[in-house]
Amino acid sequence: MTAPTLEIEGISKFYGNINALHDITTSVDSGEVTCVLGDNGAGKSTFIKILAGAHRQSEGTLRMDGKEVSFDSPRDALAMGIATVYQDLAMVPLMSVWRNFFLGSEPTKSLGPISWIDIDKAKTVAKEEMAKMGIDIRDTEQTVGTLSGGERQSVAIARAAYFGAKVLILDEPTSALGVKQSGMVLKYIVAARQRGLAVIFITHNPHHAWPVGDRFMILNRGQSLGNFAKDEITREELVTMMAGGAELEELTHELEGA
Amino acid sequence: MDTADITARPDTIGDERLAYRGVFQRLLIRPEIGAIIGTIAIWIFFWAVAIPFGTVGGTSSILDVSATLGIMAVAVSMLMIGGEFDLSAGAATGALGIVTILMVKNVGAMGGAGLSLFVAIPISLVLALGLGWFNGTMVERLRLPSFIVTLGSFFILKGSKLGFSKLIVDQIQVGRINEGSGYGFWRQIFASEWQRNDHQFGGRDFIYTAGIIGGFTAVTIAVHELSYVRRKVFDPKGAVLFVGGLAGGVAGVVFMHVADSSASNWGAGLVIGTSILVGFFGYGLWRFESRPTWAGLSLPSDARSSLGIGLGLVAAGIISSLIFDPSSTKELAFLVTEQGLRAMLFVGLTSAGLTYMVIAVRRGGVAGPTSKAVLLATLAATLAILAFLIKSESVSQKFRGVVFVVLLVGAALLVSWAISTATHVERRFPDHAADRLGGVLAVGGLIAITIGVILRLLFTTNAEIAAGISPTKFSVRILWFVGVAVLATWVLGRTRFGSWTFAVGGNKDAARQVGVPAARTKTQLFMIVAVAAWLVGLLLAFRLNTLQSGTGDGLEFEYIIAAAVGGTLLTGGYGSAFGGAIGAVIMAIAKQGIPFSRWNSDWRFVFLGGILLLAVIANNLIREKAEASR
Repeated sequence: MTAPTLEIEGISKFYGNINALHDITTSVDSGEVTCVLGDNGAGKSTFIKILAGAHRQSEGTLRMDGKEVSFDSPRDALAMGIATVYQDLAMVPLMSVWRNFFLGSEPTKSLGPISWIDIDKAKTVAKEEMAKMGIDIRDTEQTVGTLSGGERQSVAIARAAYFGAKVLILDEPTSALGVKQSGMVLKYIVAARQRGLAVIFITHNPHHAWPVGDRFMILNRGQSLGNFAKDEITREELVTMMAGGAELEELTHELEGA
Repeated sequence: MDTADITARPDTIGDERLAYRGVFQRLLIRPEIGAIIGTIAIWIFFWAVAIPFGTVGGTSSILDVSATLGIMAVAVSMLMIGGEFDLSAGAATGALGIVTILMVKNVGAMGGAGLSLFVAIPISLVLALGLGWFNGTMVERLRLPSFIVTLGSFFILKGSKLGFSKLIVDQIQVGRINEGSGYGFWRQIFASEWQRNDHQFGGRDFIYTAGIIGGFTAVTIAVHELSYVRRKVFDPKGAVLFVGGLAGGVAGVVFMHVADSSASNWGAGLVIGTSILVGFFGYGLWRFESRPTWAGLSLPSDARSSLGIGLGLVAAGIISSLIFDPSSTKELAFLVTEQGLRAMLFVGLTSAGLTYMVIAVRRGGVAGPTSKAVLLATLAATLAILAFLIKSESVSQKFRGVVFVVLLVGAALLVSWAISTATHVERRFPDHAADRLGGVLAVGGLIAITIGVILRLLFTTNAEIAAGISPTKFSVRILWFVGVAVLATWVLGRTRFGSWTFAVGGNKDAARQVGVPAARTKTQLFMIVAVAAWLVGLLLAFRLNTLQSGTGDGLEFEYIIAAAVGGTLLTGGYGSAFGGAIGAVIMAIAKQGIPFSRWNSDWRFVFLGGILLLAVIANNLIREKAEASR
C-alpha cells in the first residue's frame, strides 16, 4: 500500500506552559475527505495553523507522500500543495470574481520586460474552472462582496483546486451559513474529492461532516478522542462523541430535572 | 433569432439571470464618474462668471496648476487604494528639488557639491527611492500606522529643508539651478514651453469645426446603436433621409461660415436644426426596428408631480429674470448686487427646474415610450424657450452667443431623441455587432472632438495674430501629467502590481494568504509616491530656478483631497488613478476660478472644503450603487 497524501503523526503544540495540542495522529489520501471535529477551544485552529505552515509543531512529524516535510511559512505549505481556505480571510470583497480567483498568480502576457495581465484568459479560465466545480457564476466582473457566503467559499475552493493543490484544508466553511448554503458548500467538497484532492474539513457540526467524510478525527481540549474510518463509527456515535458524550448526558439530566 | 418578442430576444452569449445593463449604466458606476460630472459643472459655473474661462490663456493656466498637483494626486491615489497615506509627500517635493539644487551649487559657507546635473538628478532619484523605501519599510516592518510614520517623515523633511538651507547657503531659499552644468539639456525635459503664438496653422478652425460637429454626430449615432434594436433588413428609405440630413447639416454650417449677416445666420440655424431632426429620424428608420404599435400615453403621478415642480421652478426663474434690473449694480446685502441676485436666481431656479424635469423623464419612462417621448419633447421646448429668453435678456455676450446655440442644439437633439423613443424599440440584450460599432463610433467621436480642441489650444491663425492676441505658453509639465495619469491607469487596471494594490488595500490578510507579497507591494507604492515627488520637485526647480525651504509643505492634504474627490476610498481598496487626475483638475479650476472671477481669494478654502464634502457624498452614493448593481 502506498503512503497517504498527508500523514500527521503524534503532533503536539505547546505555547509556553499551555498544551494546545497533544499527540494528534490522522491522515488523508487523495480522493478522500478527513473531517476534524471539535468544539470551540478544542485545538482546531492550532491544528490548521500547523498544517498551513503558520506555526510549527513542538513535537511529531508531517509526511507528504511518505516523505517528512516541515513548513517555515504559509508560502512553503502552498508550494508543497497544501491550500488553506479560511472562513473569512478568503477574498477581497471589493474586487471582481476573476481578480480574486487569480490573485497572486495572474496569467500574464509580455512584451520584453513589460508584462500585463491576460484579462481575457483570466476571465475565461475563472468561469470554466468554477463551472467544473458545478459553480455557475453570473458574471466574473461581479465583485466578490456581492456573492453569498457559500459562493465565496466555493470560489476559494475552485481556486485552490485550479492552482494544483493536493491537500485542501477548509476551516469551518459551513459555520456561518444557512442550511441551503451549507448544502451547497458540502456539494463542492464532494466535487473537490472527486477531482482527486485530499480534503481536510474542519467543522463543529457532525451532521455536516458525516455525509461527506471518509475519516473522522475528534478533538477535545487538545486531545484526540479517536481517529476513525467511516465504517468504524456510526453517525450517532459521532454525534454523541462530538457533543461531549457523558458530559452531555449529565447536562440533559440537569436540564430535565430542573 | 426570435421574431415574436423583439424586446426580450434570447441571448446566446450572456447569462439569463444577468439583467442587461446598458453601456451608460456601466459607465455610471465607474469610481471617477462623480468627479467628471463635477469638473464639467464647476467649469461651467466659472465659465459663466469669469472672463478667462473658455479662453486659451485660461485653459493653459488651469492645466499648468493641475499638472504638479495632478502628478502627486495620481501617485497618492495609488497609495490610498493600497490602503496607506503619505503625509510627507508635499514636503518631499520641495526637499527633493532643494537637494538637487544644493548638489549642483558651488557657493555658500560650506560650498555646494558643484556636481553636474547629469549626476545630481539621478542621485536625487535614488534619494527619492530611499525615502519611499524608508516610509514603506517603517510602516510594514514596525506595523505602525502610515499616518504616524509619514507624519514623522514630514517633520524631518520640513526641518531638514530649513536646516540644511540655512547651513549651506545661509538663506531660507535655495536658488540658481541654472548654474549647474547640463542645465540646457534638463531644462528641455522639465521646463520647455510651447509658445502658441509661434505656431500658425491656417486650417485650424476648419479642423476644429469639423472635429466638433463630426465628433458629436458620431457620438450621437453611437448612442443610437447602443440603445435600439436593429432591423433584420435595413430600410434604404431611411438611409436616403440620413444622407439628406447630413448634407443639409454640412451645407448649413458652411453657409453660416461664409455668410455673415444676422438673417443668414437665422436661415442657416433653421437648416441645421431641421437637418439634425431629419438626419437622425432617417438613421433610425434605416437601421432600427420600428415599434409595432403606439404605446398609450399615461403619466404616473410621481412623474406628473416632478414635471409640475420643474415647470414651476423654471417659470419662477424666468419671472425673476424679468423683475430684476440686469444693469443695476446696487448692493442689496452681503456683497450681492441686484444684477448678481438676478443671475443667481435665474441660474439656480432654472437648473433646479430642469433637474426636476429630467427626473420626470426617468419616472415617466417607466410608464411607456410615448410618455417618455412627450416628457422629452416638453424638456426640449423648455430649453428652446430659455435659449430665446437668454438671447434677448442676458447682459453677457458669452451667454447671448454660446449658451443660446448650445441650448438650441440640445433642444434639437432632445426632440430627435423623443422621436426615436416613440418609434423604436429599446434594446435590452447585448448585440455584439451593434455594441462594437457603437463603441468604435463613440471613441472615434471623442477622439475627433479632442483633436479639434487640442489643435485650437496649440495653434494660432493669421486672423488671431492680426487681431493681436496675447501670447500663451503651454508647459511640458502638462505632458508629464498626462503621461503619469495614463501610465498609472494602465498599471492599476492591467498589471499584476495593480491588482495587488487593490488587494492589499481591500483585504491585506486575504491577499497575503494567496501569496501576494503585501509588504513589498506597499513599499513599492510608497516609492512610487516619492518618485512622483521627485518629478514634481524638479518641475518646480526648473520652473522657478529658486525654491523656498517651505516649498510643498502642507500640500499633502491637497493631494489627498484630489484623490478623495476623484472617488478613491479613504480606507483603501477602491478608486482610480484617473479619478485622482480629474480631482486635481477640479481643484485647479476652483483655485484659478476664484481670482479669475475677481472674488476675494481669502474664501478659497471655504470653496475647496465645500467641494470635498460634496464630492465625497456623491462618490459614496455612486459606490453604493456600484456594489448593489453588480
